Amino acid sequence: MRYLNPIRSRFIMGKAQVLRYIVKRVLIYLITMLVAFSIVFFFLRLIPGDPVSRFTRQIEDRYSFRIENTQEIIDEYKRKFGLEGDLLTQYVSYLRRVFLEFDFGPSFLNFPNSAQSLIMRRLPWSIGFLTIATLIAWGIGIVAGTFVGWKRNTKIDSALFTVALCMNQVPYYLLALVLVLVFAYTYGIFPLRGAFSATLTPALTLEFITDVLYHATLPALSLILVSSFGWLISTRALTITILGEDYLLFAQAKGLKKIKMLNRYVLRNVLLPQVTSLAMSLGFVVNGSYLIEWIFTYPGIGTLLIQAVPTLDYNTIQGIILISIFAVLTANLIIDIIYPLIDPRIKTGG
Amino acid sequence: MRKTDRILQVEDLRVYYKSIFGDVRSVDGVSFSVGSNEVFGIAGESGCGKSTLVEGILRVIMPPGYIKSGKIMFKEKDLLSLEEEEMRRLRWTELSYIPQGSMSSLNPVLKIEEQMVDAVTSHMSTPKEEASNMAISSLKEVGLPLEVAGMYPHELSGGMKQRVIIATAILLKPSLIVADEPVTALDVVVQKGILQSIANLRDIYGITVIFVAHDLAAHAQIVDRLTVMYAGKIAEIGSVYDIFGDPLHPYSKLLVAAIPSIEKEAVQGIPGLAPSPLDWPPGCRFHPRCPYAIPVCPHDEPPLKEMSPGRYAACHLLG
Amino acid sequence: MSSTVEKQSTLRRSLLGLATLLKTSRMLRVGLGILLVLVLLAVLEPWINNYRLGGHKSIEFGIYERHLPYSYEHPLGTDLFGRDILALQFTGLRYSLMIGAVAGSIATLIAVVVATTCGYLGGKIDAVLNSATNAVLVIPALPILIAIATYVRMDLQLMSLTLAIFTWPWAARTIRAQILSLKERGYVELAKVTNFNNLEIMFAEILPNLAPFIGVGFSYAIIGTILAETGLRVIGLGPGEIPSLGLLLNWAIGYGALSQGRHQMVLAPTTFLVLIFISLNLINVGVEETFNPRLKKITGM
Repeated sequence: MRYLNPIRSRFIMGKAQVLRYIVKRVLIYLITMLVAFSIVFFFLRLIPGDPVSRFTRQIEDRYSFRIENTQEIIDEYKRKFGLEGDLLTQYVSYLRRVFLEFDFGPSFLNFPNSAQSLIMRRLPWSIGFLTIATLIAWGIGIVAGTFVGWKRNTKIDSALFTVALCMNQVPYYLLALVLVLVFAYTYGIFPLRGAFSATLTPALTLEFITDVLYHATLPALSLILVSSFGWLISTRALTITILGEDYLLFAQAKGLKKIKMLNRYVLRNVLLPQVTSLAMSLGFVVNGSYLIEWIFTYPGIGTLLIQAVPTLDYNTIQGIILISIFAVLTANLIIDIIYPLIDPRIKTGG
Repeated sequence: MRKTDRILQVEDLRVYYKSIFGDVRSVDGVSFSVGSNEVFGIAGESGCGKSTLVEGILRVIMPPGYIKSGKIMFKEKDLLSLEEEEMRRLRWTELSYIPQGSMSSLNPVLKIEEQMVDAVTSHMSTPKEEASNMAISSLKEVGLPLEVAGMYPHELSGGMKQRVIIATAILLKPSLIVADEPVTALDVVVQKGILQSIANLRDIYGITVIFVAHDLAAHAQIVDRLTVMYAGKIAEIGSVYDIFGDPLHPYSKLLVAAIPSIEKEAVQGIPGLAPSPLDWPPGCRFHPRCPYAIPVCPHDEPPLKEMSPGRYAACHLLG
Repeated sequence: MSSTVEKQSTLRRSLLGLATLLKTSRMLRVGLGILLVLVLLAVLEPWINNYRLGGHKSIEFGIYERHLPYSYEHPLGTDLFGRDILALQFTGLRYSLMIGAVAGSIATLIAVVVATTCGYLGGKIDAVLNSATNAVLVIPALPILIAIATYVRMDLQLMSLTLAIFTWPWAARTIRAQILSLKERGYVELAKVTNFNNLEIMFAEILPNLAPFIGVGFSYAIIGTILAETGLRVIGLGPGEIPSLGLLLNWAIGYGALSQGRHQMVLAPTTFLVLIFISLNLINVGVEETFNPRLKKITGM
């Protein structure tokens, strides 16, 4: 009895389906970004006070002369900062500027530098540091998690799992404080602040790179020591679930060698969802790291934010928030699009 | 049955599950033997312990289950006394398995071919090419086209997956295959085909098959001998003609009578509900539902006695 | 069918369920234990400090000598303003937990309302609310909170409210997922076929099963709010007269505790905070483990 093979025709139809899926995802992405940006806009506008007069007062203080707050000047500044017109007009021009021109407006902090130039200068440090730390934490977590899940119910499992549960709950910045206290202040092993020594000029030399790594160690550790345990916990749970699956039972009945089972039957099924989670967390990690940066005075957008706030740099704050939202949503979108390609269950239009 | 014909002999096997309520005694003292080159059936209601029994024989019991005691003599070796690695070497080369959840027994992220080749390369040092060819010819033997080898499990229908599992089970030409409810989840037409494949295993390849199913009608079609299980223990063992033609144990009688047929006027059921493994009835476990129960039944468990060569039953009524 | 009989059996079922939960999960017991101790400390703080400080408040300046080292009367010493550090921790614990509980409750309330509307009504409303929840989730709470806290004079209520507004999506997601899975289960269908109306179904069938997950959601909400509040405080934002643990940390940093070797000023609040998070997390894991027994370490135990 031969079975007809309808699989091929399903794959051809699959291509059109894939396209529809991508379009739908991109649409949701854009709409969510729009909604989120709008919420941010209205929220920040709720903050009482008139930024323009604050700004002019600031200029006065800084440069010690009086500005005649004529209507002209106020209007001029209002226009520059996108504050003219009523709320609706402001909203529309805000959307236009942000989406089409990628213009966050001038920064109050460093007028007349634009906010986005400030952010862009700092962004690479944040992203570099965070991405590498997250990747390391993920790697460690996955390996440890699979190992612990494999050896479930043994002493080493209980021990590691309990430690992981406790450590995972420590907020990044608390650990950062403790690390700074012990390793920087008390024992002076690692530097206190900055991304690189003030005496060096940024260049792609071994000396500079080593220096950067040296400075990044404690901040990275604050992140890694906490989040790798988080990955351990989730990987362990996943591993245990997979180990209970029928196909693992069958694999064992087939008499497969343990290593092969671990590799092809457990690990592959663990990696798929965990890679998705990794991509998602890369987007979110921007959030938890502001304080780490601040504690170490690391030149990333976290410190920028905390500097921008007391000096009332409206546009920079807004810009940083928007970038974070953008990062999270884009990370999600990329996974949404890539995942079907790597999971064989979806790849073949099934 | 001559002793040299026996390929598997189970002696007083007990498989329990740990729980907060105490031990769940799923398989509570089961003994039987299986001859070579026959299809041996294990029949019984859901929950009587059939699946646990064969999982125990194959030593794939997962915690919280554990094998409490007993002996499993496979070709004169006690499987329970073997080391992990020795058991692993036996697996698939001598003793293979068609599990109950065939639908989910295939690794979703590997191609069929890869999974079958894994079974080969774990036991023999065959090069991948050759193992691949073995897999493809195995698929042919169960009637699947060679394109299946390059597909993923989710692309196949239930019947196809079942056949893939069977094809995998015969790859290394084992002496004994245990098939646990291989046709339960399939429609009648596909069932017939699968049952035929299983019968072929015995007829064409000389493999011994242990066939577990709750559907007596399926047993009637292909088994040579069978045992009827109830509540973790064996009620009766005999040839297929004996059990269907002249059942000795009251439970077997009721089961056979319950098989619907055009000639019967009404469908007869078995009164009462299956007992819970947490709380087996005292004495003979069937006594609450037995229409022929006598005063001794609630007190003493009837031992499994050999009524005639190869024919066993556990019932006080039989002396 | 008598409605008093139904109500009683729902309550009884919930209580029985809670008792079984406690019996089956060691993590849950440990977590609850730690949390209970912390809550007791927080609740009894006025009396404890009253007794230890002889009627003074812990934040009053100059009660004791400054910079005292560890001693029996001052297990953690005193700070540069002559305040007993241990007493400060208790006060901090009290306020942190209070803010967490209040903000967490508001957040959970919002979450329950949103999640039940979504989950139970389904369809378009679900799609819209779900997208809205996701949009809020995506917004980084900390920067906005920082921005608001700088410009707006925060008191306890306002702060709790703002914290709640950003934390509710986390709880809502957990609850909604559970409602969706419950909807599929047989007994809801069964109840629909019998004569219960929608509200009765909600109360009698869904809520008892939902209760532990609302608890978990509440737990996540508390974690989220305390996390956010502490984050704000460490930078120095928020009402300055309410010394939550985060503010204590900010003071410690500000007074140069790090360089002066007065480590306990940093380590003490950190320890309490970590204990809070650990206990809540243990509770969460304990509840989740019970409902997915394969994760359990020893089955049935």
